[in-house]
Amino acid sequence: MIDPRGVLREFGLALADDVEVRVWDSTAELRYLVLPERPAGSEQLSEEALAALITRDAMIGVAKVAFPQKGARL
Amino acid sequence: MNGVHDLGGEHGMGPIQYEKDEPVFHAAWEGRIYAMNRVMGAWRKWNLDASRHQIELLPPADYFRMTYYERWVESLTQRIVKGGLATRAEIESGNAAPGSPKATPPVTTANVATALIRVSARRPVAMSPRFQVGQHVRARNINPIGHTRLPRYARAKSGTIDRDHGVFLFPDTNAHYLGEKPQHVYSVRFSARELWGDQAKPQDAVYIDMWDDYLEPA
Repeated sequence: MIDPRGVLREFGLALADDVEVRVWDSTAELRYLVLPERPAGSEQLSEEALAALITRDAMIGVAKVAFPQKGARL
Repeated sequence: MNGVHDLGGEHGMGPIQYEKDEPVFHAAWEGRIYAMNRVMGAWRKWNLDASRHQIELLPPADYFRMTYYERWVESLTQRIVKGGLATRAEIESGNAAPGSPKATPPVTTANVATALIRVSARRPVAMSPRFQVGQHVRARNINPIGHTRLPRYARAKSGTIDRDHGVFLFPDTNAHYLGEKPQHVYSVRFSARELWGDQAKPQDAVYIDMWDDYLEPA
């Protein structure tokens, strides 16, 4: 609550200073679904190829989805 | 109640213990306790809010010493005893006392799916909201000794109604079987600086689900 940027750093995610961080305290019987940000360069990927990039950490909002660069080894 | 479960803003709890490929349960007994907790709920001797309050009532030193599912074991045991489903002696021995009544209807594989359906906390009650999206509000400074979902760090702080979620039962009364008191729940935006001061970035914010009774016009 008091230091969301610090918590994300502990998960290995460093956010730029100008990013707006919104913390959702789910106090009621409502749950929020994390929709990971689409990585740059992935515009041509199919639904299946996009789904293959998703990790557990991306779905709980503590990691960005990484898009392998051309020529990178998978 | 102002208890140790209300950890928002506390310092000194140590870094996140990040576990790669974290399993759903770390031991088989945790899964069993999860299942038992869900199944025992089928007899409707308690509700979700009462269950949460039972965990809040753990002595603070025990609360911090126990793991997550150890708290569930203790809370479930106390609810079973309070609800008259079994005695503590029966739970500790693993055997029903001679002549003790059996809960009916029994939960079997045939009806377990029905027994496990979660009842929604949303209530189809038509009532006008007291607050509108965009309105400035303040969280009331209340310190009830019973169950509440209003975090301590938000009390007496000002925010803005971000959205109206509709009508839900009120945990503060429902946990104590004092009625459902349905009312609107809003997502309220509090700027991080309002909550934590100048150490927070000016653009950051915390969104908290707030029941109508927690709010007053600012």
